[in-house]
Amino acid sequence: MSDGQAGFEEPIDRLLAGIRAQMDLDSETEQEVLAEIQDHLEDAFAEARARGLAEHEAWAEVAARFGVSDEVGRAIQAAHAGWGTADAVIAAALPVVCALLLRWLAFAPDGTALGWPQLLSRPAFWVVALVALLLPMLKFERWRYALATWAFFWMLTVLFVALPAVRW
Amino acid sequence: MSVREQMRKGTTTVILLNLLAEAGRPMYGYEIIQELEARSQGYFQFKEGLVYPRLHELERQGLLRAEWRGEEGTRRRKFYTITEAGRRQREKELQGWKAFSRHVDELLGVESGS
Repeated sequence: MSDGQAGFEEPIDRLLAGIRAQMDLDSETEQEVLAEIQDHLEDAFAEARARGLAEHEAWAEVAARFGVSDEVGRAIQAAHAGWGTADAVIAAALPVVCALLLRWLAFAPDGTALGWPQLLSRPAFWVVALVALLLPMLKFERWRYALATWAFFWMLTVLFVALPAVRW
Repeated sequence: MSVREQMRKGTTTVILLNLLAEAGRPMYGYEIIQELEARSQGYFQFKEGLVYPRLHELERQGLLRAEWRGEEGTRRRKFYTITEAGRRQREKELQGWKAFSRHVDELLGVESGS
């Protein structure tokens, strides 16, 4: 933040806190939203200062034009809250599909488990592994979801190969 | 709520889509708001904070694509670009708006363009 914006930090923090108080989103989304709004406020403040307004005048103008933080926070929450039906089905079904495919890949028809060399040499295994990583990442554009599904996939793989007796 | 305010709220989606389609380049939130106010010559006063939820809705609907850009050590900004689905929606909404305004003009006995 430049020297011209030094007196701006406290009001911007208060405004962002007011918005944050109305949101109940995942932390990554909240951080992105707040960073975007902080950018906006800093741009608006700098522009007002460049027009010759004093700090308190510039902030008053920025705040008035921006709107009430509670209202903005509620509108942002409404815009983000709740996935669409397709998103919810994908998010819920992906781990289940992973488990079913892994069970099919990791066990021979007679019920004996494959060892690591046999499993890792199956192209189908790597296709499933890639889908488990890429589908949530491309669909939700969040590394967190992709890594969670990826971790779940490998946890199941280790479970099936190392402890075949626990399969259902 | 004034007629102007009602109309602005009802047309924000098509206004945003139209702006990004005509700009033909990615734009960030503050830039979008500045451009909207310049184009409306101050006629529409946007509560600036409420533009962001609308942008996020359009992004979630797949009508806009958003991307954070910025070099190391500089401010990163979230840029919005209209998608193909957004362009189709814009065309649809523009047609709807033209039909709506023509019918209202007829009902009110106002000549178009006057």
